[in-house]
Amino acid sequence: MTVLDHRAVTHPTVRWLGVPHLLAGTAEGPVGRDRHRELHGPLTLPTRAELRRDVARARLRGRGGAAFPVYRKLDSLPDHGAHAVVVNGSESEPASHKDRVLMRLAPHLVVDGALGVAHALGAARVVVAVHDVEAGHAMARAVAGRPDAAHVEVVAAEGGFVAGEARALLNGLSGVAPLPDGRRTLPTTRGLDARPTFVSNAETFAQLGLLVTDGLDRMLATGTAEEPGTTLVTLLGSVDHPGVVEVPHGIALADLLGHERTPVLVGGYHGSWVAGAGDAVLDRDALATAGTPWGAGVLARLGPDTCALGEVQRVVAWLAARSAGQCGPCVFGLPAVADAVADVVRGGGPTAVTRVRTLVGLVDGRGACAHPDGTSRFVGSALRTLSGEVEVHAAHGGCGRPVLGQLPLDGGAR
Amino acid sequence: MSSRLQVDWTRCDAHGLCARLLPDQVTLDPWGFPVLDGAPLPDARVRDARRAAQACPALALRLSRT
Repeated sequence: MTVLDHRAVTHPTVRWLGVPHLLAGTAEGPVGRDRHRELHGPLTLPTRAELRRDVARARLRGRGGAAFPVYRKLDSLPDHGAHAVVVNGSESEPASHKDRVLMRLAPHLVVDGALGVAHALGAARVVVAVHDVEAGHAMARAVAGRPDAAHVEVVAAEGGFVAGEARALLNGLSGVAPLPDGRRTLPTTRGLDARPTFVSNAETFAQLGLLVTDGLDRMLATGTAEEPGTTLVTLLGSVDHPGVVEVPHGIALADLLGHERTPVLVGGYHGSWVAGAGDAVLDRDALATAGTPWGAGVLARLGPDTCALGEVQRVVAWLAARSAGQCGPCVFGLPAVADAVADVVRGGGPTAVTRVRTLVGLVDGRGACAHPDGTSRFVGSALRTLSGEVEVHAAHGGCGRPVLGQLPLDGGAR
Repeated sequence: MSSRLQVDWTRCDAHGLCARLLPDQVTLDPWGFPVLDGAPLPDARVRDARRAAQACPALALRLSRT
């Protein structure tokens, strides 16, 4: 049982490298309505053509994990626009905290983005779906204090990993089970209330908020030509400053993680393991090409004092238990993968590794959503990156280090 | 135009009929769920594939034309 004590409300600590855009003014705590206007200027509601032009020139991509270009999402909506605009603030990736922190500290930026898109698309409904309680309160307070946002609905999103997937979220909001559909229909065709919907992640809307207040030129002045502007990162594990940090695109990952060669996870629990930050830079295309997609912006480093394979096993067991229970290969395959990884940790060596690889190959791509695919990527890359650890475990039945639990599993804390 | 088999994983209950009816195209994983090779169906097999899709007790097997 969880006992809720009466704690003083504390605000998350955030940092930035360079000049903060999204997190401007948050050093003093949450940015209220008047301060928000001082910092970013008035909201200019764009036409669809204006919005399309600016997001294309800003090369803005979705910040929920798939990095889909926003102008293409706009283009795939019907000529008459969208029925609804949905801010996906569920942030069900447990390693990620950037969206809830953003909504707690700069909720008006998210509201501005949602209002801008809703105006451009003529959307009748604007829904902000949030799972984190504090972030939900912050969004509700922001909306309640704005006459221009009277029609914006702030709703509690279901918990659970898969429930945060865009189509699952839309099903939940439309009054049916919060599960992904068996047929892969896009929300731009069939979304909220089974009608065309523009849905994106909370940070995406905050970036859109910058475009409709600060304007395009300010975004173009930061980052790289390929990817202007900044992005939010959740830093975890054995790093100097764990937490959420805003950085310009193009910085070296080593600037965030340090240069030590201990295992690094890029992208989150559907992401990939690499031996260290190396010379990689924050460039979504380059990272995807290198087989380490940026995902939801999570970077984690394991310290030298924890059992790396044990940390991996802990997350895999957790992921296996997060199946929505719809698709057989996920329901049966992921627990089998988790068991096989446990064998590797106990020193099963090459035989156990082969079994993991076979099982991972069996679940990859065989589900209604990307949960089995992402879990496969996490496990496959871990075994490649930690091959030395696998040998040590095989030789000695373990590595002698405890599993410290450096990767969070409940989405709470911090 | 080529035809491919697809499974709606939210419907499939591992009856295994598809693997019986289309042994060259469908095998079963350790839990009884179909493994498809993903390749376009040979023309000569399209009729059987359509029948297999119609026979699926869970209506999970589909034939898609691209």
